[in-house]
Amino acid sequence: MSYRIPLGPYHVALDEPYKIEVDCEGETITDAHIKVGFNFRGIEWLAQRKNITKCIALMERVCGICSNVHSMTFCMALEQIGAIEVPKRAQYIRMVVAELERLHSHLLWAGVAAEIVGFQTAFMEVFRFRERVMDLLEAITGNRVNYSMNCIGGVNRDITDPESVAAGAREIRDTVNRVLIPLFTTDRTISARCGGVGVLSQADAVRWGVVGPVARASGVDTDLRRDCAYLAYEEIAFAVPVRTEGDVLARVVVRAQEIVESCNIIEQALAQMPSGSLNAGDIYAVPPGDAVVRVEAPRGEVFYYVESDGSDVPSRVKVRTPTFANIPSVMAMVKGNEFADMPLIQAALDPCYSCTDR
Amino acid sequence: MTSQEWRQRAGGNWMPANLGEIRSIAQSMLERGARFEAFVVTQTKAGELRLIWHWDLKGKLFSVESTAAVGTPLPSIVDIYCGSDWAEREARDYYGVTFEGRVSTAPLMLREADPPGVMLRSEGGPR
Repeated sequence: MSYRIPLGPYHVALDEPYKIEVDCEGETITDAHIKVGFNFRGIEWLAQRKNITKCIALMERVCGICSNVHSMTFCMALEQIGAIEVPKRAQYIRMVVAELERLHSHLLWAGVAAEIVGFQTAFMEVFRFRERVMDLLEAITGNRVNYSMNCIGGVNRDITDPESVAAGAREIRDTVNRVLIPLFTTDRTISARCGGVGVLSQADAVRWGVVGPVARASGVDTDLRRDCAYLAYEEIAFAVPVRTEGDVLARVVVRAQEIVESCNIIEQALAQMPSGSLNAGDIYAVPPGDAVVRVEAPRGEVFYYVESDGSDVPSRVKVRTPTFANIPSVMAMVKGNEFADMPLIQAALDPCYSCTDR
Repeated sequence: MTSQEWRQRAGGNWMPANLGEIRSIAQSMLERGARFEAFVVTQTKAGELRLIWHWDLKGKLFSVESTAAVGTPLPSIVDIYCGSDWAEREARDYYGVTFEGRVSTAPLMLREADPPGVMLRSEGGPR
């Protein structure tokens, strides 16, 4: 029997407002239709009506989880247009905060995934690790959501106690290596629930244009931190985990391994961080020009196109978030899967609908 | 693909193209294994639309730009890159553009009854 099941836009099973209509033949999904826009705030429209200083705060509000990456990418685009040199220490500080944000995002996701799988103990344990990351971010920035670290030409605050941050990164890496990686790679509940579910082939990953851990779990060996190094990533040694299975389990494992790599990056960055100034001074406008800047956010590539006419108000700011690129591929992932796997397949993308809608 | 050549600019490789060349460029990009990144529309001071299709090929950015008057139908590449569906629908929401070669261009961020062209609205000047 064929039927269509509507979910959302407001439903107790959904973390954020969106709508998904699932076509089923018995218990098997034959198609899915996703509707977004319930969080549409017109941020790109607003950006053309605010000066660049206010735009930094505006861009930080694109996403509540990877808020730092948006303000940082926006600032990097303006720095490229204005040929503004960012002090080396500021680049390292940006890198440390970006990696802490990745830890926070991946651990948040791992907890949510464990809860969806029905593994409540893992959910509690993972959220305990995540709290440690939030404490580190708060210690550095003074904030836990919108960190206000970035300004045009650098950062607003220094890392005054690098050893305590490095100790935190070591503690998280050891715990993840000891608890999380074995849990996600050897636990039979996880592998039975996630293995072979929601498969996205490498060819489909390219056709749908997926990014970040979702692409890497489908065999697309891509990571802007390595392929198109920005900040000081080329001075840091790190691995890019790639899996070829393309299923939910591969996405789980890729993110778990990325947590370890982020800890390694933080530790190296803090050890190598040079002394020097934090920013290039007060900058309120850049010359006419445009720039495209892409940054590897926790969920994948963030794409910013910024155009300046020389005034203090940008003439265009285009934001393409990772979830905007990833979510449509759900329609390819769910076909042929059981309806009961739908929440897990969606969650495995680590979607953020607020930043998708902007 | 076209008679034009790629030039280094603004953090990537750029090439101008006519609207009629976009689909063959997209096809060529797919055959090379490039991932569709984004479709950016801006409005020039002269009032026409500047259109930029972006692809990623092994970490390098390739951007193809063209221009069109407001209201000119644009070529859709959704049958080549299914991932461009949302980008085209969002362009319809923001700039009211229409696409040839797709059955319909449903709103993405807006609702069915909302008028398209959010970015072309002039109310609320810079603050």
